[in-house]
Amino acid sequence: MDSRYDIAIVGSGPAGLSAAVNARVRNKNIILFGNAEFSEKLIKAPKIKNYLGLPDITGLQLKDKFENHIKSMNINITLERINEIYAMGEYFGLMVNQKMYEAKAIVLATGIEYTKPLRGEEELLGKGVGYCATCDAPLYKGKVVTIIGYNKEAEREANYVNELVKKVYYIPMYRDKPNLDDNIEIVEDKVLEIYGKERVEKVILENKQIDTDGVFVLKDSISPAQLVPGIAMESNHVKVDANMNTNIPGCFAAGDCVGRPYQYMKAVGQGQTAALNAVSYLDKQ
Amino acid sequence: MVEEIKDANFSNSIKDSDTPVVVDFWASWCGPCKMLSPVIEEVSDELQGKAKFFKLNVDENPVTAAQFKIASIPTVMVFKDGSMVDKFVGFRPKDTIKDVLGKHI
Ligand SMILES: Cc1cc2nc3c(=O)[nH]c(=O)nc-3n(C[C@H](O)[C@H](O)[C@H](O)COP(=O)(O)OP(=O)(O)OC[C@H]3O[C@@H](n4cnc5c(N)ncnc54)[C@H](O)[C@@H]3O)c2cc1C
Repeated sequence: MDSRYDIAIVGSGPAGLSAAVNARVRNKNIILFGNAEFSEKLIKAPKIKNYLGLPDITGLQLKDKFENHIKSMNINITLERINEIYAMGEYFGLMVNQKMYEAKAIVLATGIEYTKPLRGEEELLGKGVGYCATCDAPLYKGKVVTIIGYNKEAEREANYVNELVKKVYYIPMYRDKPNLDDNIEIVEDKVLEIYGKERVEKVILENKQIDTDGVFVLKDSISPAQLVPGIAMESNHVKVDANMNTNIPGCFAAGDCVGRPYQYMKAVGQGQTAALNAVSYLDKQ
Repeated sequence: MVEEIKDANFSNSIKDSDTPVVVDFWASWCGPCKMLSPVIEEVSDELQGKAKFFKLNVDENPVTAAQFKIASIPTVMVFKDGSMVDKFVGFRPKDTIKDVLGKHI
């Protein structure tokens, strides 16, 4: 296990990078999680006209400027996707598959691109619907499990679940042909609803229905409520005050994930506010 | 303090209590359960005398796990006079847990 960081920043878009730069200026021991491209939304922007001081810059050019900036400060992006964050009181535990990072404070800067929940998904959460197949699969010994996979990674989990349960159905939500163990039944059909009264009973698709005891929904992006259990939301945004405090002490949030407008300068400003308040939170400890 | 509870003494333990009873359903292979258990332990110390705290290993006690249709762990249930009055599924920070329990104490 790594040593305990001062601040863990989750997300490598403008908000996260700005938080990282400002925390580093204050000499904090930080870790920044995200991806090598920084942010899909950044590199895709054709022409940005409202970033002060950089008129008519493209998203890719702005990404290069950000990259030079963080490199000059020796900030690296840890290329990992955080699955779940536990507020332990004294510290936060950040799970990446089976690995755990620890930090005294957190800045959430995950952006917003959460896939809309399926019909029945939220209602049946914990009543047969789950998001972590590897966590809950042993509870389905001898039972039927359906996996709704939004990405290729879900295939690995499906193969694992298949070793533990009676039968696995796999519904791919993407085009590529899934690469799965032979006895997993692939169902290429449109999901209409996860149905059940007290608990999950079936998955209703356009052309058929599957009787199932459990459904695992495995997505690319996790909503903050799932990522940080116990965090307060306001519709689909993280609830923050003007200091970027969430309801959990030591947990701050910034950028698109806290609400509109969805803009670079707002994200950067909030990332800075979040980092500076995380620093004063740490100094008070 | 959080005491271990089993299929055999489950129903008696939740019935014979004049305070609310909190049960943490867990298993050794469950990562979030490992994170939750020290938090529940802290809550139990802070609420000493106001509620009783138990944990039940779902692998070793399949009868109770099936009776309460545990589909995800950790699941935490609150019982009053022998019946379930509240529950939550998944990890929660200490303050959130105390808010949930506060409603029943
Ligand atoms: C085509 C397009 C054009 C745009 N043009 C403009 C414009 O001209 N002007 C303007 O002001 N705004 C524009 N925007 C909006 C702007 O892109 C966003 O407001 C901005 O990117 C938000 O920054 P952010 O840091 O909050 O989130 P994001 O940029 O979305 O970054 C979040 C990052 O966090 C990562 N992440 C998420 N969850 C995790 C996790 N669990 N673990 C690790 N990493 C994670 C994501 O992969 C992503 O890289 C445009 C957007 C698009 C799509």
